[in-house]
Formats: sequence, structure tokens, C-alpha cells
Amino acid sequence: MNHRHLLPNEIDLLVDGESGFGVAPLRAHAAECTDCRERVDDARIVVDALEALPHFAPDGRLADRVMSQVPVFVPAHVAARDSVARWLPQSAPARTAAAVAGTSVAGLLTLALVWLAGRGDAVLFVGGMLGDRMRVTVAAAARDLAVSLLGEGAFAALQAGGPLGAALLVLGFVATATVTVAGLRHVAAVSARRG
Amino acid sequence: MLRALDLANLPDADVVALALEGREAAHRELIKRYERPVFSLVFRMVRDRELAEDLTQDTFVKVLSHLDRYRSDFKFSSWLFKIANNVAIDHLRRRQLDTVSMDGSPHAMTADAVESTRFDVADVAENALDEMEARELGSAIERAIARLRPEYRSCIMLRHVEGRSYEEIATTLDLPLGTVKTYIHRARHELRRALDHTRE
Repeated sequence: MNHRHLLPNEIDLLVDGESGFGVAPLRAHAAECTDCRERVDDARIVVDALEALPHFAPDGRLADRVMSQVPVFVPAHVAARDSVARWLPQSAPARTAAAVAGTSVAGLLTLALVWLAGRGDAVLFVGGMLGDRMRVTVAAAARDLAVSLLGEGAFAALQAGGPLGAALLVLGFVATATVTVAGLRHVAAVSARRG
Repeated sequence: MLRALDLANLPDADVVALALEGREAAHRELIKRYERPVFSLVFRMVRDRELAEDLTQDTFVKVLSHLDRYRSDFKFSSWLFKIANNVAIDHLRRRQLDTVSMDGSPHAMTADAVESTRFDVADVAENALDEMEARELGSAIERAIARLRPEYRSCIMLRHVEGRSYEEIATTLDLPLGTVKTYIHRARHELRRALDHTRE
């Protein structure tokens, strides 16, 4: 047995549970020397008491108080990515089902587009026919509206004037409206000055 | 594939990266992870719950507002504890300067007067303890910790309450490794004496 008692730093090594080179002889000495063993045990009592100390909890609103003082800027791409992530199912089977459904819909749409592209003439013919029908309907509705507003005679005169007549009518309307508004503002300004 | 973030299971470095992307949830996760250790360290440093709440808040505001300065080769928790410790120590120093110079009152005319007005952290801790009588910090070991010098206190807390290695403590507190070992050794010695005293 080594009769030299343990030095304070050697006691620290044992208390810290070190296992490096040179620690084994110290441990052997402490096992045989009552005095050193007591010193190690005393030191361990302190360490055990320290390691049993609890953590304290701060006020539950700490996070809110901190975040009210921390400016957080969320870039658009991050916000968009998060929005997408929110809509995705969480469980793996649900995600698989969503992926299968999405792929099926996309596949069907693609097939429909390919089918339509392969029949370009038919699509153009049907599209033109629908366009003509819509144009005729809109023109008839506009004529009915103009006749009910202007009367049959005025409408006939407007039709006879052609595009030039229509432009003159619109210009006349705008000029009349402008003069009316300017006149009203002048009257209001004069009465305000008198008041 | 995109999926909802499971922040609780991510390592600190990843949560910090997400916080740097501007995700508030990541900021809150960091607070949730470390509010208790940081508050405990600060509370045991300043011995006043309300003040510790304020200083803990200051610590997190500083850390989260300057996340871009965090170096990923450093452990996040070490960086956080370093700032928490600095905040607490700064407060203790400021409080001391508000009342009396560390070297004694400038108006002291004799050596005895200088000595009687000299900065003594143990006195501060004792006074704070007297007025506190809190159940939370009332145990013998807590009272003994209160009498330690602040630098011993932070070392011993980081070592035995937070389970940090000597090297981590040295990095966290910007101290040489030998100094950390000395502080912890002296702190243990003082605590042992204090506990012996209470047992007698």
C-alpha cells in the first residue's frame, strides 16, 4: 500500500469518477486507507447534494414576454412551405393515400388534355361555334338595352350614324357631364364665399 | 417531402437553423428547452425570484435577437449559459457599484475604514438570504451556495446541476481550464465546510 495520503486534486479525480491513467492506484489507496476514504466520502456527500438540486421553473409567460421583444421575420418562401406542410396529412398511410389520389387526378387530367389535343379540328370547330353563339347573344342583349334607354327612333339614328355617330354621342355625353359638374362646383364655391 | 416540423425531436443546431429562417415556433422551442436551466442558474446567482425572471428574460432576448452571431462550432447551450452568466454577473457588479466600491469607500480615511467598506460578495449573499427565507432556496446546501463567490457559484452550478465537463465550463465562462478546476475544488471545499458546520 502507498502510505502517502491523497492530495486534494486526487480526491477530486475520484469524486468526479475519472478513469484515466493513474486513477486506479488512487482508488486502491482510498479503498485501503480509512482516512482518505472518509475524505473522499465527505467530498462525495457534497457532490451528491449538488447533483440532487432541482431546476426551478420561471413564470409560465416567459416565452410570450421574450417573444414580444424579439422581432421575427418570416420570409415568404418559408411561410408558403409551412402552409403546404399544414395541409399535408401527418400519418404515413394518410400521406400515401393523398399521394395516390393526387397522382390519379393529375393522370386523368393529362389524359383528357392529350385526347383533346389529338382532336384539334373538332375542338376548334366546337370552340368557334360556341364563340359565335355567345357574340350574337351579347349583341342582342346590348341592342335591347340601348333601345330601352334611348327609344327606337334614337337607336335607329345611332345605327345609321355608324361608329362615327356612336363616338360623337359618347363625346357629347362626356362634354355635357363635365360642364354640368364644373357648373355645380362653381355655384357651390360662390355660395360658400357669400356664406 | 415536406412535413409538419417536429421541433421537440430536433437537435439544438437544427432548431437554431429554423429559428434563423424566421420560424417563431423554433424560437419558442429554444426557450422551452432552456428556460428552467437558465432560470435556475440565474436565480441561484442573484437569489431573488423576480429579478431572476427579468434577467432570464433579458438573456433570452439577447440570445434570440442575435442568433445570427451564434457560431455552430460552439454548443448552443454553452453560448446560452455564457450569456446568462454574464447577465447575472453584470447585474451583481452593477448592484455592488451602486452602493459601494469594490475596493472600499473612496471616502475611507484609514485602513480599517477601507476594509470595512470593501466589496464582499459573501456579505451580499448573506443579506439577500436573510431577507429571502424562501422555501425554494432554504436547504443547507442552497444556503451554502449563496455564500460562495459568484464565479465559484457559476462553476459549481454548471458542473453539478447542469452536468457540464470542465472543458465546457472553461469555454462557457471564458476561463482557463486550470482556473475552472481550482474554482470547483475551492467551491466544494467551502461547501463541505459549510455543511459540516450545519451538521455539528
